[in-house]
Amino acid sequence: MSRQRTLVAGLAAAVALTALSACSSSAKKTNNGDGGGAKKDGGVYTSIDANYQITAGAPMNPFNSSPNMFLGYDQMRLGFDKYNPLDPNDLFPGLAASWTATDTGLTVQLQPNAKWSDGTPVTVADIKTSLAIAYTQGTAGPVAGAGGTIVQGTNFEVSDVKDLGGGKIEIDQLPGVKNLYFQRLVLSATIVNDKVYSPQLPADIWTQIAAVQGPDPAAAKAAADKLSAEGKTIAAFAPAKDVSAGPFVLTRVGPGEALLDRNQYFFAVDKVAPKQVILRHYTGNQQIWGFLTNGELDSSPYTSMPTNIADQVVKAGYTRTDAPSYVSASIAFNEKQAPYNNTAVRQALAYVIDRDAVTKVGEPVGGIAAPYTTGLIGSQTDAFLSSDQKSALNAYKPDPAKAASLLQGAGFTKDGAGQWHLPDGSPWTITLQTVNGFSDWIAASTIVANELTAFGIKTTPAITADFATYQKEMGAGKYAVGWWLTALGPQTDKAYNRIYGAADGFSVVNGKATHSDTSPANWFHTPATYTVNGQTIDPGQLTADLSVTPVADQKPIIAQLAAATNQELPMIQIWNYTKVGFFTEKHFTNFPKTGSDALLLNPPGVWMMQGYIQAK
Amino acid sequence: MAATAALSTRLRNRRPALNAFRKAVTRKPGRLIGLGIILFFVLLAICGPWFYGSLAVDPNAIYAAPSADHWLGTDFAGSDVFQEVVVGARYVLSTAALAALFTSVLGITVGLLAGYHRGFLDSALMRVTDFVLTIPGLPLLIILSTVWSFGSPWQMGLVLGLTGWGGVARAVRSQALTLRERGFLEAARGLGLPSRHIIVKELLPNIAPYVAMHLLLSVIAFIGAEVGLFFLGLVPFSSTNWGVMLNQAVFSGGAMNSPDALVYLLSPLVCILLLTLGIVLFLDAIDELFNPRLRERA
Repeated sequence: MSRQRTLVAGLAAAVALTALSACSSSAKKTNNGDGGGAKKDGGVYTSIDANYQITAGAPMNPFNSSPNMFLGYDQMRLGFDKYNPLDPNDLFPGLAASWTATDTGLTVQLQPNAKWSDGTPVTVADIKTSLAIAYTQGTAGPVAGAGGTIVQGTNFEVSDVKDLGGGKIEIDQLPGVKNLYFQRLVLSATIVNDKVYSPQLPADIWTQIAAVQGPDPAAAKAAADKLSAEGKTIAAFAPAKDVSAGPFVLTRVGPGEALLDRNQYFFAVDKVAPKQVILRHYTGNQQIWGFLTNGELDSSPYTSMPTNIADQVVKAGYTRTDAPSYVSASIAFNEKQAPYNNTAVRQALAYVIDRDAVTKVGEPVGGIAAPYTTGLIGSQTDAFLSSDQKSALNAYKPDPAKAASLLQGAGFTKDGAGQWHLPDGSPWTITLQTVNGFSDWIAASTIVANELTAFGIKTTPAITADFATYQKEMGAGKYAVGWWLTALGPQTDKAYNRIYGAADGFSVVNGKATHSDTSPANWFHTPATYTVNGQTIDPGQLTADLSVTPVADQKPIIAQLAAATNQELPMIQIWNYTKVGFFTEKHFTNFPKTGSDALLLNPPGVWMMQGYIQAK
Repeated sequence: MAATAALSTRLRNRRPALNAFRKAVTRKPGRLIGLGIILFFVLLAICGPWFYGSLAVDPNAIYAAPSADHWLGTDFAGSDVFQEVVVGARYVLSTAALAALFTSVLGITVGLLAGYHRGFLDSALMRVTDFVLTIPGLPLLIILSTVWSFGSPWQMGLVLGLTGWGGVARAVRSQALTLRERGFLEAARGLGLPSRHIIVKELLPNIAPYVAMHLLLSVIAFIGAEVGLFFLGLVPFSSTNWGVMLNQAVFSGGAMNSPDALVYLLSPLVCILLLTLGIVLFLDAIDELFNPRLRERA
C-alpha cells in the first residue's frame, strides 16, 4: 500500500504529461477536421470563456450562478461596455443599434433584424421582461444605504418601458433618481426571451417593482423580499433549449467543452465568420497554458502566467495583446493595529518595497509595477491628474536610507544585528497575509518578505485557506498587513469606494458620508479626515461626491483623493494588472490587437458582431 | 567503580545486537546504500537549515538554468533550488517521522491491549479503531486547514498520525491474538506475571520486527501524503517544503508546459524517489535482523 502511494507520487508527472499530450492530439484533430477552420464559409473557433467554466448539466440560464451561457456568443445585451474611463456611457452596439439619452431616461432603437434563434423578432416585451428580472437579481433597484434617491452607479432604477413603434423603445428612469451611469447600466443588462422567461415571473412583477420604489418603507421591504425570492426561482430555472439573440446558439455541452452553432437569425450574421464555436472547460491556469502551448485555442482570455510560459505561447505562434485592466494588487494596512496607524511607518515600508522586483516575480506578464499609489491604476492617474499634480506625487522609489530616517523619526530603533525595534523596544515583525491559490500574491509575498527581512523587519508570509475566509477575517480585523485588490475601475467612484467606503467605515445616506470606526465592516480604520497640503479633506465624502459627479467634472475631486492616498498610504499599490491575451491567425484573421482596448476588454463574440474575426 | 562495571556489562550485552545489525546491513551493498541514503536525508533535515537559514531571492534570475552558482537552477523568485531542497527536507521528514511515531505508538498500544485482553476491551477498542478507519484523512485535513496553517510539522504530523493508526492497530491485534496462545506467554501467565509485564516485556519484543518495518513503510506513505496535499494546493503553506516546490513548479512555473521549471519540479521528486529507494533497500536489512529464519539462511 505504501509502495503504491509512493509510486503514484513518482509517476504523477509522467501520467499528467501523457494525459495532456493525449488531449492535445485529439483537440488538434477536431480543429483540423473541420476544414482547418480556414474556409471562407467558416470553421470552428476554439476559445475559453473567461467568466464561467463549462458545467455539464448546468442550466442555459444567464442568471444561474454557473450558467451554460456565454457572454457575447449566446448571451446578449443591448450594448457592450467599452470600459472607457473618460466616458462611462460609451458602449458598442449590441441588440440596440443606437440610443439617445433623454432627461427622463433613454430611447433605444433595436437592431432592425434583431431576432431570436427560433426566428421570432426581439421585441419590447423581451426588454421589459429582462429589466424586470434585473430587479429580482439585485442589479436594479434602490441601493441599500443610499436613501433610494442617489444611486452609486451599481444599480439602475426603471419606472416604465414603452414601445414607441418601429423597434424604438423608451426606458424611463425613476423620477427623482440621479444616476450618472443609467445609460450604461440599462444597456448592459442581460436580455432574455420573454416567451421563455415571463412564465417564471409573477403577473404583477411591475407592481412589485413600483412598491419597491414607493414611499412606504414597509411595503418596499416586503416587495423587495418577494422580488428576492422570485430571483432565486429565476436563477434556478432551466430552459429546455437555448433561445439566443446572439451570434451563436448553444447546441451541446459536455464535461470538456461547449459547442455553439452560428445563429442563422442573428441580425449581423453576415459578419460572423466562424460556423461553430467550441469553448473549452478548464479548472486552472495551467490547463489554459497547455491549450495555448499546444496551439489548441484561436484566442485566450486573460490568464495569469509566468514569463517562461508566455514565451512558450509566443513560440507556439500566438500574438500577444495587452489592454488595461482596472485592478491593482496592493498591500493594505489595518490602522487599528500599531505601528501601522503611523503614516511614517507606512511610508517607510513603501520606501523599502521594491515594486519592480516584486512585480517581476508576482505578476511578470500580466502586471505593471504601480508608478504611484493614488487609488487608481496608472493610465487613469495619467488621464485625471495634470502633470503638475503628478509631479507632486511621491513615487516612493526604493530608498532604505529614507525609510530608516522615517522610522527613527517615529521612535523606532535598530539593534546591532540590524533588526528594527518598535518604539516600546520589542522587535518589529510583520506577518504578510495572503490567500491560498492566489499564486501571484503568494510569489510576490516571498519577495516582499525577503526585502523587509533584509531591511531588518522580520517578515513572514502567511496564507489563509480560501478567499471567503480571507475576506471574513480581514473584515474582522485579524490581519495587520495583507494583500487587497484596489483601483477597481474604470468607474472612479468605485475605485475609491474600495478604500474610502464600507471597508473604511464610511456609509452614505442621501449623499452625505458618515464615518464610524466601530462599523463591523471597517478594517482599514483610517481617520475620518486627512490633512493634505494644509487642507482638511474628508475622503469618504469626496468618494460619495464622485459617484454623482459627471466624469468631466471629477478631476478636482480625484486630485484631492489621489494626493491624500499618496501621502497617507492606507495601502501600497504594488502592481496594476494588464489584461494580457493571445490569438493565433492559424484559422482566422482580423483579430483586435493591442491598442483596441475596448474590444480586448470584451469577449470574442463581441469582436465577431463588430466584424472582427474573418475566415482566412 | 560499580557504575563502570555495570556500563561495561551493558555494552557487552549490547554488542551482539550491534554486531547483528552491522552484519545485516553490510551483507548486501544495497542495504548499505539504503542506510546511507536515509542517513544523508536525516542529516540534511537536521543540519541543512543551519547552512541556509533564509533563502536569497533574485528577481533578475528567475528560473535560471543549473550552473556553478546554482547547482539545480533557480525558482520563480530566483531562489536557489538546491537550497530549497535542503531547507525543505526538514519539514517533510519531521512531519513523516512524527506521523509515523503517532501511528506506531497509538496503533501498537491499542492493538496490543485489544489482542491480549480480548473480551469487552477488545470489542471497544476495535470499534474505536473502525471509527478511525472510516475518518477520511484528506477531507479532514482540508477542513482543518481553515483553522491551522500547517506551518509546523507537529500539526500535520499529528493529523496524519491520528488518522493513520487504525490499520496498524488491527494488524498488531491479530499478531497479539496469535502470540498470546503461544507457550511462552501461557508460561508467563502461569507464573502470575502482571499483564503490563507480559505486554511490554514479552509481546512487544515479538512484534518489534513488524513495528520497525511498519514505521519505515509508514514514513514513505506519510511523505507521499503530505507532499501530495501541498502539491494539490489543498492546504495553505507558509514555508518551503518539497510539496510546495512541486505545487509552485506545476501551477506557477508551468513545468508541464515549459522546460524552464523542469529542474525545479524534478528536484523534490528525485529526493522523494531517492528516500523511498533508501528505505526500501534498508527494509531488507531490518527484515533479516528480526527474522531468525532469514538470519539462519544467511
